[in-house]
Amino acid sequence: MIKPALELLEVTKSYGDSTAVERMSFALRPGEFFTLLGPSGCGKTTTLRLVAGLEEPEAGEILLNGVPIASPKLGIFLPPDKRRMGMVFQSYAIWPHMTVFENVAFPLRVRGEAAQSLRQKVSEALDLVGLSGFEQRGATELSGGQQQRVALARALVYTPTILLLDEPLSNLDAKLREQMRAELRALQRRLNLSVLYVTHDQSEAMTLSDRIAVVRQGKLEQIGSPVEIYERPATTFVGDFLGRTVVLEGTVRKSEQSIFVEFPGGDGRLSIGEEQRGSFAEGETVRVVSRPEDIQILPIGPAAPNQLKATVNEVAYLGDRLEYTVGACGRTLVLVAGKQERHAAGAEIRLAFDPARLTLLPLEK
Amino acid sequence: MSSIAASVQAGIRLSRFRLAEFGALLFFTLVMGLPIIFLLLSSLNVAPPGKEAAFGLANWSRAFSDPGTLSALWMSFLLSVTHLVPGMILSVMMAWLIARTDMPGRNLIEFLCWFGYFVPDFPLVLAWILLLDPSFGFLNTVAAALPFVQGPLFNPYSFWGIVWVHLATGGVWFKVMLLTPIFRRLGAALEEAGRVAGASSLTVLWRISLPALLPAILAVAALSFIRGLESFNTELLLGTPVGIYVYATRIYDYTRHDPPAFGEATALGSVFLLVLAVLAFFYQRRLKGKKFTVVTGQGYSTLRARLGKWKYVALGGCLLYFAVMMALPLSFLLLGSLMRRYGFFNLRSPFSLIHWQNLLTDPLFFLSLKNSLVIAAATALASVALYSTVGYLLASRKVRSAPVLELLCWLPWVVPGILMSLGLLWMFLATPLRSVLYGSVWGIALALTIKESPVGTQAFKAAFLQLGADLEEAARVSGASWRYTYRRILVPLVAPVAATVGLISFGSALTSISTPVLLYSARSRPLAILLMEYSFSGEVERAAALGLLITAIVSVMMLLGRKVVLPLISRDEG
Repeated sequence: MIKPALELLEVTKSYGDSTAVERMSFALRPGEFFTLLGPSGCGKTTTLRLVAGLEEPEAGEILLNGVPIASPKLGIFLPPDKRRMGMVFQSYAIWPHMTVFENVAFPLRVRGEAAQSLRQKVSEALDLVGLSGFEQRGATELSGGQQQRVALARALVYTPTILLLDEPLSNLDAKLREQMRAELRALQRRLNLSVLYVTHDQSEAMTLSDRIAVVRQGKLEQIGSPVEIYERPATTFVGDFLGRTVVLEGTVRKSEQSIFVEFPGGDGRLSIGEEQRGSFAEGETVRVVSRPEDIQILPIGPAAPNQLKATVNEVAYLGDRLEYTVGACGRTLVLVAGKQERHAAGAEIRLAFDPARLTLLPLEK
Repeated sequence: MSSIAASVQAGIRLSRFRLAEFGALLFFTLVMGLPIIFLLLSSLNVAPPGKEAAFGLANWSRAFSDPGTLSALWMSFLLSVTHLVPGMILSVMMAWLIARTDMPGRNLIEFLCWFGYFVPDFPLVLAWILLLDPSFGFLNTVAAALPFVQGPLFNPYSFWGIVWVHLATGGVWFKVMLLTPIFRRLGAALEEAGRVAGASSLTVLWRISLPALLPAILAVAALSFIRGLESFNTELLLGTPVGIYVYATRIYDYTRHDPPAFGEATALGSVFLLVLAVLAFFYQRRLKGKKFTVVTGQGYSTLRARLGKWKYVALGGCLLYFAVMMALPLSFLLLGSLMRRYGFFNLRSPFSLIHWQNLLTDPLFFLSLKNSLVIAAATALASVALYSTVGYLLASRKVRSAPVLELLCWLPWVVPGILMSLGLLWMFLATPLRSVLYGSVWGIALALTIKESPVGTQAFKAAFLQLGADLEEAARVSGASWRYTYRRILVPLVAPVAATVGLISFGSALTSISTPVLLYSARSRPLAILLMEYSFSGEVERAAALGLLITAIVSVMMLLGRKVVLPLISRDEG
């Protein structure tokens, strides 16, 4: 097995009474783009700062290439300047009294790089982020996107052990954000960088990451590839945070060959796929979670397996598609559908579910 | 990388930070707390200084059986309140005009306020004597020519004379300097929301800005009130001759007794500390729970109130104020220094350079000049070194004792200069530091450094806060040690603030009288004290010349510093 580039073991950090990060554990493989995703104030930035050495953990251990760099138990704390990491701050933290060149050269100067190779490396780094020719520009004369590139060049100029990115795209406008996102991904692939990325933007996390860790109130909710956490959210929070979900509550029924969920007041039932059966007992109340786009709206017709009867309450015209608010099994669901087949408000319909794309979750308090 | 090396490093890093915090706390406790304890103790000590201590209440009973004591305390209070009210109204208006309106020349007005703050008040008091004196005052002479005026119209040696001179000297400039940045920093959205909701700019000022800024304005008023209570120079020159005593001149008077009545002086000082404690308590109560966050909110307003044709009236008003309060007295100071005998225009040759010649040939003058420059330079250097550290500690938010440290830094402005000097004097006398500090320029420099701690600390704190932690953290993650980060990132970024603090400390050190007045000796006499001595020995003309000279030194410094200072204060003009 490959040794992780970075490993957190049960890391805890609190400020006064409030716990910012609680028993956080994950491992980042070399060359992996790993994202901490969560709402603001969930502890993801604190986790990043713990990794950078800007905060000291109270408990747990942080290992860099297998070597402990922070461990209260062993009395180890490596200061940030000894960790050889690169970091891009949300505000970019471009030093206003230095030019672009001096900003990028700083990490090399600190390490006593010779003048010749220093110039070479700075110009390579600026080239990498597409800022050649901006060397003598004052750092404050740059636009947001350019500042972000300078910050990136500064973080990359000395081949860091890990690149830490703290919501680097959140201060850019939508178009620039998409462009920088693509460039960032390409750069990471090309240089085979190990990246720890922090964001609250789920689409950013989905498009960039190899793996995503969803964080909520200082705790890990789920780690997995974008597909895994989207398709198989471990909790309703994860499901909700990554996009719209449709949630129904029902009762588990087991027969010899199959397992299915019955709904009160409904006329249909949904069978559950092999890998989703889990350890649910007969008669247990569960949540069935699906993505709206995985549900097909059909005109009313004879009952078929994995279909539920429903009524259209409202139809909203969104331009490229239609949004239906429907009532099914005593719940209100919001679904989207194409414009080919239209259903008027008040119409009886059938909802066809894809058993392979259903997730069963226990009831949460 | 070995784990042991790492752990050692962590230990050093933390303890170095704690060490700085501990050092700052210790320093302030020593120089602020100790003098106050000495003051309280010595007020109970009935033996003369240097003799074996004997404790009793004799000092207190003697000080308070004197009816002059209570009336002096009352007079301090009355004077402070009387010039506080018009002073606050004027300075709030001026600060609003500078920070929030489209008045032309607002940068000039702001600079004039800075200039006014640095013009030493003692020469200005002299100038007002030259203008208003009942027997030879110029304005009285002019007024006497009017048919319906009988006898002198103005008299500076009176309650209202003192109030007037206060308004002309530090009273307004100081408040404008404190209020302008507060007005400027009011969160932009608050005022803009008011304008969008349909309020005129005056309504916004009255209904939104002022109420939102009320805690800050009250804080400035409270500070000004306390500074009014400690006022010394004006009262000494204008009040003492006609028997108007305030608390500070009363203490000074006790120390000038033969033998010096230090016991009574310290007893009176201790009472004042109680008054301050009561004031501080009520101030805390009043402001409890009120947040200043609105003042430091993000996004400074660029929206300025349009005054229309009134903007010229406003500018005219401001300029008139400066003409009357600064240009007029300064011109008469110049005139006074050039007259053979001030006020006697009918002499054969009324104008002469004799007083300038006397001043520049006085060996005392050169000694004092040298002392003053040494004191001011030492004060400036010490202030920058000390308060950049304290400001950094306060801004870092990692300090455990931040509220205590902050309070200690504010104390020197709350405790009157003469009281602090008295406490320090006792500390110098009673400790092994006596040989180094007592009566020496270093003792005076130490006192002056402490006296200006709020300016230095707050300026550096604001500068470091404004930098934001990430600029520093980015350097640390880039691989720079803390020391390298400090040298290459933090120091260059706060250099303009350091220059400003250095200039302010230098200027205040040059012009302060009440702080060194009890600490100087013949070998460490500074210029400001020499000026005081000249004016008491009746050499008004020579005092005027020296006053002008000090004003000139400070003005040259300000003009040199303007390149540094003005971009700093008007940076957020956008």
